[in-house]
Amino acid sequence: MQLSDRITGSCLVALGGVTVYGALQQPGVPGQDVGPSVFPMVIGLGLMGCGSLVALRIGHSFEAPDDVVPPEPGEVVARPPRFAEWRAFLPPLLLLFYMLAVESLGFLLTAAAISLAVSFTMGARARLALPLAVLAPLGIHAIFVRLLRVPLPDGLLTLPW
Amino acid sequence: MTDLFEGLRLVLQTDVLIAIAASAVYGLVIGSLPGLSATMATALLVPVTFYLSPIAAVATIITASAMAIFSGDIPGCLLRIPGTPASAAYTDEAYAMTRKGQAELALGTGLWFSAIGGIAGTLSLLIMAPALAEVALNFSSFEYFWLAVLGLMCATLVARSSPVKAIASMLLGLLFSCIGMENPAGTPRFTFGMTDLLGGIEPLPALVGVFAVSQVMRALSEAEPPPLPRRRFGSIMAGQWALTKKYPKPMMRGNIVGIIIGVLPGAGADMAAWVSYALSKRFSKEPQKFGTGHPEGLVESGASNNASLASGWVPALLFGIPGDTITAIAIGVLYMKGLNPGPTLFTERASSMYALYIIFILANIIMIPLGIIMIRVAATVLRAPRASIMPIILLLCAVGAFATGNNLFAVLLVAFFGTLGYVMERNGYPVAALVLGIVMGSMVEQSFVTSLIKSDNSIMPFFDRPISAVLAAITLGALLWPVAAWLIRRMKARAPAVAGASGGHANG
Amino acid sequence: MSMMSRRGVLGATAGLAAAGALGHPLARPALAQPRFPNRPLQMIVPWGAGGGTDATARIIAALLEKELGQPVNVVNRTGGSGVVGHSAIAMANPDGYTIGIITVEIAMMHWQGLTELTHANYTPLGLMNRDAPGVQVSASSPYKDIKALAEGIKNSPPGKLKASGTGQGGIWHLALVGWLQAMGLKPDHVRWVPSNGAAPGMQDLVAGGIDIVPCSIPEARAMLDAGRARSLAIMAPERDPQFPDIPTLKESLGVDFQTAVWRGIGGPLKMPAEQVAILTAALERVYKSKEYSDFMKSRGFGMDWADGPGFGKVMAETDAAMGVAMKAAGLTKA
Repeated sequence: MQLSDRITGSCLVALGGVTVYGALQQPGVPGQDVGPSVFPMVIGLGLMGCGSLVALRIGHSFEAPDDVVPPEPGEVVARPPRFAEWRAFLPPLLLLFYMLAVESLGFLLTAAAISLAVSFTMGARARLALPLAVLAPLGIHAIFVRLLRVPLPDGLLTLPW
Repeated sequence: MTDLFEGLRLVLQTDVLIAIAASAVYGLVIGSLPGLSATMATALLVPVTFYLSPIAAVATIITASAMAIFSGDIPGCLLRIPGTPASAAYTDEAYAMTRKGQAELALGTGLWFSAIGGIAGTLSLLIMAPALAEVALNFSSFEYFWLAVLGLMCATLVARSSPVKAIASMLLGLLFSCIGMENPAGTPRFTFGMTDLLGGIEPLPALVGVFAVSQVMRALSEAEPPPLPRRRFGSIMAGQWALTKKYPKPMMRGNIVGIIIGVLPGAGADMAAWVSYALSKRFSKEPQKFGTGHPEGLVESGASNNASLASGWVPALLFGIPGDTITAIAIGVLYMKGLNPGPTLFTERASSMYALYIIFILANIIMIPLGIIMIRVAATVLRAPRASIMPIILLLCAVGAFATGNNLFAVLLVAFFGTLGYVMERNGYPVAALVLGIVMGSMVEQSFVTSLIKSDNSIMPFFDRPISAVLAAITLGALLWPVAAWLIRRMKARAPAVAGASGGHANG
Repeated sequence: MSMMSRRGVLGATAGLAAAGALGHPLARPALAQPRFPNRPLQMIVPWGAGGGTDATARIIAALLEKELGQPVNVVNRTGGSGVVGHSAIAMANPDGYTIGIITVEIAMMHWQGLTELTHANYTPLGLMNRDAPGVQVSASSPYKDIKALAEGIKNSPPGKLKASGTGQGGIWHLALVGWLQAMGLKPDHVRWVPSNGAAPGMQDLVAGGIDIVPCSIPEARAMLDAGRARSLAIMAPERDPQFPDIPTLKESLGVDFQTAVWRGIGGPLKMPAEQVAILTAALERVYKSKEYSDFMKSRGFGMDWADGPGFGKVMAETDAAMGVAMKAAGLTKA
């Protein structure tokens, strides 16, 4: 999701504008002069200002290169896999899946499915991914339910203990 | 003196010692798991304290919170996933050291200087708690306003990025802090009719999202980084003494800043680490090395972090005013166990107070051996394949966010902030500044608005109260100095350069 | 792989060892009862772990466990300024196995248009606690008693004196509004400074930023004990036995105004009558136990008991009074 400064800057200007509009909609407070609109107003104006500066690429020279450790000469830098950019959005989708499924499927099954999805996408072999999908949910279940007493839903699969 | 021995006797009970040891292990484990926080570790201990003796109950809270704050640095250093908003200030630095093959030095620095900071904070509590409490009581909303603004400015000083983008990230964080009912009108603001947003956005789901989830996202989209050279994990403590001798000034400054900020209710450890890291960079002889894996900033902010944790107990013990969420929980436990906060706790129940001091020091001492073991166990993560670690981190994010309020909405927030953090990071916007904005937002607004209400809309009290005036001068100075330095440099450059006169490379 | 799972297992065992060592030496049920309850109960707390409501709920749950012979698990359902947890109680399955602690906010939130929920959405089981606000001033304040303060307020221009202790429209703000109205003054004669709870309010009081904090006495207690603040009166029908030196508004000022925060146990509507009777009886025994009164005393919380219908009446009265005060202060949703 590498976007040009012009695009991110314009997004910030737009967001700032929406914020200022939202701030103007805030109700006043009876008996008070300083209401809930002042602070968002300042933020909105600030965002618009920063967004314009970013779009004009002011301050760009301060940006450090991404790599903390530059590759050694002769070292082979692995190419990112294909469709890599879009694979990045798998984790948030899996979290949404967790939110929707955990009540009905239960924690253990949902967690196993997420674990499998992530490790297979990362190119793990079944020898690694399958035991992990069993052990990781069980371990987390043990810590949270037994030790921390967090009520994780049982769903379809109830543990005997 | 008899009180001291009596205090010692109170601590050297079997149940108290077992409570300290067990809660130390507990705090270390919970703190080191990405997605779980020190506050949560403490809150979950409360039901257990019901069944303990008063000293043992307070000992579990003190020990577990100190351990969890330290071990929050471990995932930050090894995986670039900070455990607390405080360690977000220096996570990039510690992770850079790990990538350079200095994980043991970075973690050892965190451990050693955390312990020193904790002990310095305890000594301040012991020697000058009443004096420190007076300072805290003189802080009104006018002073808090300047303090909050100073804290926010640290975001731009710390960032290794364009200052414009750092400020934009911080403003975005402030915008998120506007959501909810905690505003001057007490009515829903920017909640879009969603009940779950009425309480506002907690810093924890945002922290977990922008660091932990976005790290998993990066792992999925990038090729596996070249594996670190396989080697024995070196000594954790070697080199710490050398660092102590090399950086005595940053260490002392960290201790003092931590103690002062910790005493002020509401500011707490989160802000102390940020301010100290920024100060360290500002006054360092080698500021250009910051962010590339340089231990100096870790020394100062690590010490500051834990010093503030101990001194945060001053207003809690003297006036029942919580310094942060952890001491808020501790005050409840103190009342429940008959150790009512107040000056009488220091005079009539001095032996109990000495017992608390001894527990603080004991906790910071056993932190070192237990911390070494924890680091050694955790470091195996560096050698495990990423495909086995990332699923576990993602699951911990989901469960950890849920567990703070048993509310699935937090999982949605984590997913949202993960996506936001990933996109911001790819485009050069520092995510740590976003977290700082969310943490500080309500303090900035609240202190500004309540100040104006109190002064009947006059801005004079922001400048004519003594402490307020000093803080205002520091803030405006820090704000204007880079501009002034830039102007001076520009004027010098325009003037016909005399050969040899350009010796000074001092930058602002 | 092996590395990671070993770490997970190690962590889990260490944690379990810690839990074992800290222990739960709570008496297990002596007899399994054939009728209700025959499985664990859940008690929902709409506020975060570690706070006053959470502590109250946990002590009630621990004692209820002894009475009922079944575990009572406390679950914090936070979010939405209490709305989320209160809805979870109202929408639970009405089989008697899910109950919750209901706080005074239920009488306020619907007036502000935050939720449709009101006290009428619950089956009240028992009132467990009630705390009246005091009128606190700084120790250096010129007002030595409540008469002097009342005169001072009447003689000051509107908006000159400031009070704080909670957010705009919070319970202590409404207490102030009610008191001012009972004295025949305008609701904003003393200006409200919104704060993030009673503790910051008390701190600002001592720092000299504001003049009055009308928060509950347990919240002000540490500053009172420290001699930094004085409590001039309590807005209750009678003096608090734990703080017998503080007079009521009525006896000292002749102003008959009273309000309070309360906490009680309730469940969803349509609970079977038998379950309600068993739970209410168990709660009454909990209330009368020595452990409960010891705990409430240690926290400085006020004791007050009412059975189901009595608690329902308290909720209805508070609801009506809050509606009046909030309309007067202009805080209701138009």
